[in-house]
Amino acid sequence: MDSTTLAQVTGNVATIGYGLATLGPGIGIGILVAKTQEATARQPEVAGQLRINMFIGMALVEALGLIGLVAGLVF
Amino acid sequence: MLHSVTIAAGEGEVPTGIWLFIPPDYDILWSAVALVAIALLFWKKVLPTFTKILDERTELIQGGIAKAESAQAEAQEALAEYTRQLAEARAEAGRIREAARAEGSVIVAELRTKASEDAARILENAQRQIEAERQQAAQSLKAEVGALATDLASRIVGESLADSARQSRVIDRFLDELEASTADQR
Amino acid sequence: MRAPGPADLGECALITAATNHLLAASGEDGGFPIPSMGEFFPAPIFFEGTIFEFNRMTLVRLVATIVLVALFWVVTNRARLVPGRAQNIAEMGLDFVRVNIAEEILGKQHARPFIPLLTTMFFAIFALNITGVIPFLNIASTSVVAVPMLLAVASFVAFIYAGIKAHGAVGYLRTTLFPSGVPWPIYIILAPIELLSTFVLRPATLTIRLMANMLAGHLLLVLFFGMTHWLFLEADGALKGVGVITLGAAIAFTVFEIFISALQAYIFTLLTAVYINLSQEAH
Repeated sequence: MDSTTLAQVTGNVATIGYGLATLGPGIGIGILVAKTQEATARQPEVAGQLRINMFIGMALVEALGLIGLVAGLVF
Repeated sequence: MLHSVTIAAGEGEVPTGIWLFIPPDYDILWSAVALVAIALLFWKKVLPTFTKILDERTELIQGGIAKAESAQAEAQEALAEYTRQLAEARAEAGRIREAARAEGSVIVAELRTKASEDAARILENAQRQIEAERQQAAQSLKAEVGALATDLASRIVGESLADSARQSRVIDRFLDELEASTADQR
Repeated sequence: MRAPGPADLGECALITAATNHLLAASGEDGGFPIPSMGEFFPAPIFFEGTIFEFNRMTLVRLVATIVLVALFWVVTNRARLVPGRAQNIAEMGLDFVRVNIAEEILGKQHARPFIPLLTTMFFAIFALNITGVIPFLNIASTSVVAVPMLLAVASFVAFIYAGIKAHGAVGYLRTTLFPSGVPWPIYIILAPIELLSTFVLRPATLTIRLMANMLAGHLLLVLFFGMTHWLFLEADGALKGVGVITLGAAIAFTVFEIFISALQAYIFTLLTAVYINLSQEAH
């Protein structure tokens, strides 16, 4: 019983993995920055504090994207 | 050097897998050298200098403002003090003038009373003295008048038997003698 | 195919060496140039095999350090009460770190002990990043893991030191692993997550963020410049026109890379300040 190969993907699967990994953080950071913009437009005087919170959130969200990149390179 | 480089791929030893994320020791060393150099630069040299300059600048500006304000306050105070002293001096001058005037009138009054007192005293003294002399004169006159009257009476009695011309002659003679004696006495 | 720029412009032996190496590494010969990870691991120049091994990347790193130190040395020596132009620029940079990063996040009192660290980080990262677009240097030393790792270790030590100073060692662990305002059963899953997030993920993500940004930027620049060069010189007729597009893209991407260099420096420093702040305040 030979199994025939119908389709084949060659190359590094890690790149596909990283491509998938960028979806979540991309959307997450987009929402984060958008909400910060909205809130700053509503209340410009707290813009500083909002920006700081945005960076903290961005650090956490971007971590996932970076773990995706690293996993692709390491394994 | 060029030869050794073109020999094979991966001459620089491209790591794969996890080794991509573990730095080789030489890299750590040179990175540490670079970072420590930059850290020393900022820590020891740049930041202290710029902090000092910023502080100086702030102090200059603040100090300048503060100094100007304090100078102005001092000037105001000096002006107020000067005005106050002037007013005081003027008041004191007026006071002194008043005091002098009052004292002058007092002195004049004093002198006047003293003068009048003196005058009264002198007057009193003089009157007393006149009184005393009058009494003395009256006393002496009383004594003398008694003697004279007795003398006249005796002469009259002595002469009364004679005639009246002789009487008048005796009396005239007596009065002349009296006049002559009082003129001598005087 | 080539490191962008220098092979066209100069005959520096070191850079030609790197070029040859890249040729050998990618195995391409007259085909479409593809940059590879070999870019970042040039051949050693001096002291090969020992701890003092010196390659092109280290050379670029030392050049950047020397230029930065020299610039600031000169400006500081000539610092006057009334600033000249160079001093103004230096002061702008220093004030940016002091006011916009340190004092905005940490507050004036708490910021003071950490300002040297933050200033060093910002200017070091910016100077080492910007060499990626400077001709003849063309590689950012922060794109291999050593420099970001050292900086992340410095940041890690800083925020743990700040936390221990503010709360004491046990108190710091307590406030970090068991933040207040949470019903106690949740601590069972929250504490490991917090442990991982604070003590592992923070330095790791700082490192990888900087490294990956610089790595990707450099690869893209190499790709665009290489493609332009190949298209202009070795492609057939109509494809030469595409070279113009890639050249435009390369220029745009260079500008973007300058912006990313500054932004990554800012983000690294800002996150360090934020971590210090988070360690200091009670949750």
